[in-house]
Amino acid sequence: MNKQIRRLGIAMIALFTILFAQLNYIQVFHQKTLNDDPRNSRKIVEEFSRPRGRIISADGTVLARSKKSKDQFKFQREYPEKDLFGQVTGYFNFNFGATGLEASYGDELSGQTPEIDIHKLADLFVDNEDVADLTITIRKDVQQAARDALGNQAGSVVALDPRNGSILAFWSNPSFDPNPLSTHAKSASQVKALLEAAPSKPLLPKMYRELFFPGSTFKVVTGSIGVDDGLVTPQQPVYPVKTSYDIDFTNDDLSNFGGEACGGALFDILRVSCNSAFAEMGDKTIGAQRMVEGAERFGFNQRPPIDLPAAASSKFPTEFPKNQGNGPIARASIGQGDTSATPLQMALVAAAIANQGTIMEPHLLAKLTDTDGRTLHSAETKVWKHAIQPAAAETMRQAMLGVVQSGTATRLAIPGFEVGGKTGTAQLGTEPPKSHAWIIGFAGKQGQAPQVAIAVIVESQPGVSEATGGRVAAPIAQAVMAKILQTQG
Amino acid sequence: MIERLRRNSELSLILLGAVIVGGAYTLASLGTTASIPANIGPFLAVVVGLFIAAHIAVRRLAPGADGMLLPLAGLLNGIGYVFIARLDKNLAGLQATWTAVGIVAFIVTLAVVRRPRTLERYRYTFLLIGAGLLMLPLVPGVGRTINGAKIWVSLGPVNFQPGEFAKVALAIFFAAYLVERRELLAMASWPHFRPVLPDPKFLGPIILAWGLSLVVMTAEKDLGSSLLFFALFIVMLWVATEKSAYLGVGGVLFAIGAFFSWSTFSHVKDRVTVWTNPWADASDKGFQIIQGWYALAWGGIAGRGLGLGTPTRIPEVQNDFIFAAIGEELGLIGGTAILIAYLLMIGAGLRIAMRAEASFDKLLATGLTTLIGLQTFIIIAGVTRVLPLTGVTLPFVSYGGSSLVANYVLLALLMRISDESHRREMRQGRAGTAVGAPA
Repeated sequence: MNKQIRRLGIAMIALFTILFAQLNYIQVFHQKTLNDDPRNSRKIVEEFSRPRGRIISADGTVLARSKKSKDQFKFQREYPEKDLFGQVTGYFNFNFGATGLEASYGDELSGQTPEIDIHKLADLFVDNEDVADLTITIRKDVQQAARDALGNQAGSVVALDPRNGSILAFWSNPSFDPNPLSTHAKSASQVKALLEAAPSKPLLPKMYRELFFPGSTFKVVTGSIGVDDGLVTPQQPVYPVKTSYDIDFTNDDLSNFGGEACGGALFDILRVSCNSAFAEMGDKTIGAQRMVEGAERFGFNQRPPIDLPAAASSKFPTEFPKNQGNGPIARASIGQGDTSATPLQMALVAAAIANQGTIMEPHLLAKLTDTDGRTLHSAETKVWKHAIQPAAAETMRQAMLGVVQSGTATRLAIPGFEVGGKTGTAQLGTEPPKSHAWIIGFAGKQGQAPQVAIAVIVESQPGVSEATGGRVAAPIAQAVMAKILQTQG
Repeated sequence: MIERLRRNSELSLILLGAVIVGGAYTLASLGTTASIPANIGPFLAVVVGLFIAAHIAVRRLAPGADGMLLPLAGLLNGIGYVFIARLDKNLAGLQATWTAVGIVAFIVTLAVVRRPRTLERYRYTFLLIGAGLLMLPLVPGVGRTINGAKIWVSLGPVNFQPGEFAKVALAIFFAAYLVERRELLAMASWPHFRPVLPDPKFLGPIILAWGLSLVVMTAEKDLGSSLLFFALFIVMLWVATEKSAYLGVGGVLFAIGAFFSWSTFSHVKDRVTVWTNPWADASDKGFQIIQGWYALAWGGIAGRGLGLGTPTRIPEVQNDFIFAAIGEELGLIGGTAILIAYLLMIGAGLRIAMRAEASFDKLLATGLTTLIGLQTFIIIAGVTRVLPLTGVTLPFVSYGGSSLVANYVLLALLMRISDESHRREMRQGRAGTAVGAPA
């Protein structure tokens, strides 16, 4: 019988080896699949059960923090500034995930980066919360100024430092309060459904995720391409004084605002925002091919590398079929037709002019610190685009200063500072006549590199006059830039 | 001399096990409540006290017995207790009480059964006890159905699973019966004139065991025990007769029974469907097995740490699925350590079987070891989806008084057989010395 008993022993070892192999399969080889299975809530519950770092404004106001809660997740996220930073921080919900900075810096906030891991090792025997606090580049008072300036009007304000890409104001009205969306209660889903159903789309951060016709603000891009390619100078060409630009195959020509006649050289046509002249510049002086290349050097048709999720890429048409004549390129050159841009993109256009033709990567992160205040990581200044050469940028800067001195953007002027800008009015419809009012611009101390670049859009204003941008949007941008210059001293 | 060596190593292994269990208990408490358990002192005293009591009993009643079984059982029982206490505080006290009862049963068994042969004499009594216990849950009034299985008996305030005791009684009966009939059964051959079926007289017992298993499965809906009984009988038959053909016959009968029950009984069909694809019904029928997998995967190689996982999401985690909780918190490493502990136990049991001289002792030791090994395999294979899930307990680890007490009785019987062999060797050794010694 001993032979059989020995075999029985071998059989038992074989059976247990099968178990061991299966354990390896489940716990090692199949581990990631199982952990990531959407029906497996372990991972997400863990994320929700650990403390999460704070999000802090540049002037030290807490924008998001975790407080202890008594339910299964142990912690509850709260946002003391409510809707003022709602679209920046985003929300953090167990059922439908995170948005905004909560999403893009999720690993850092929950303490899951290599840098924090090293600290964890060092803190092995210290009872420490190993999470990172996130300080952003926006000051609360500046954000508040943007909100106050825009008031109840629907629209967006994007201000940034052209020298390093730091976002200084990032406001879109309407915004939302992330607190009710971040509770663990079922009511969060109802609040979300309600906000999603609202026609004003408060959950959508329009500053970087909604596309608008940039209207005449795009003439800065057209002009820059012309100057950069050496085709346009402050003196040449001089565009003929006309009331409209002739479009092929149609009587619906591209007319100037109010049917006025305008023309002249670069500075003049930018100052009065002359449609016929810029249409001709894009269509004839520069040409479609160079226009596409130039617009893409400004970042069109690409996703801006901002540290927020799902930034929209602004659009400039790339195909201009011959059988459609000069209409598409003429309209695209003045920011109509198939051209569309986010407020962020237009702020980056202004930043390019302000920063010698170079666009820095826009970012909200100033630094990550551990709970003892030690800096784990500081924002790096990185170049995103070399849009145009410094000399061309200087020409365009002068042209934009002219628009503020004696053009459509006089309301942008801040006493004692050098301010440049460009208005825009993007026509939406004629019945009743409505348009988006735009302004882009920059400001800085006399004779120094501008400290701030800005884009403001006020949506759906009555009327279609080119004055709309200067009348409605310029004072808002002026107030925000003045506040920024004041805080920077 | 050997006796003292074995007992001393047993004692040190028990103490080592107590240190491991005490450490695990502290860590689990730190993990769940971030504090060192207030009762760690009394806890350790009770753990050590119980097993020292068992150890002293072994010293007095079976001094030559194998020294590994008791420490291994203590370790598994302790780890199981740590997990049960961590999963459900209310069950911890009960499990501790049952452990004490189990140790008492262990000592009583050693004290009452002084020679294994005593058991052989009462073979039909054990058959009666075994079959009776097995059928007891079917008796109206005392039988109770819990979680779909009719394997419980309520006698006043006490609920127990008689099947756990039946398996030990039946193992004793099988051993005695097969020793008596092994010559006859071993002669079984495939008659040439009737090539399809062997002589029914040889097949009788195996068909009987098969039928009993089917009754257990259909009437009590207890697939695990049914499989365990049948496999136990086939293995013992094979070892007793040394005829591999019985394994084949058993396999065929098992396949027929499995197919029959799969096609006839919805609860069997459900188990198989869930086994082949738990994801098809992940929120209901497949929920438990999938949660078990999630727990194991969450544990990974090193585990989440004692008290730091979330195994309470698995239904019945303190019973059938306790291995998934171990895998989550102790990881592949901890799970493998448990597997190795069982393998060591099986190895010790089979060594005892091989060293035993009397056929009955040999067969009984084989049977008891097979029970532990197969039951462990069946439940862990069920949890890890190697086999369809059939609810049996993980010996010494799962929550449950009946299982714990029955397994301690089983352990005492194994050690009794071990001691018997030792005594025989001593006698033979002395006799040999006496004969061979130069006068």
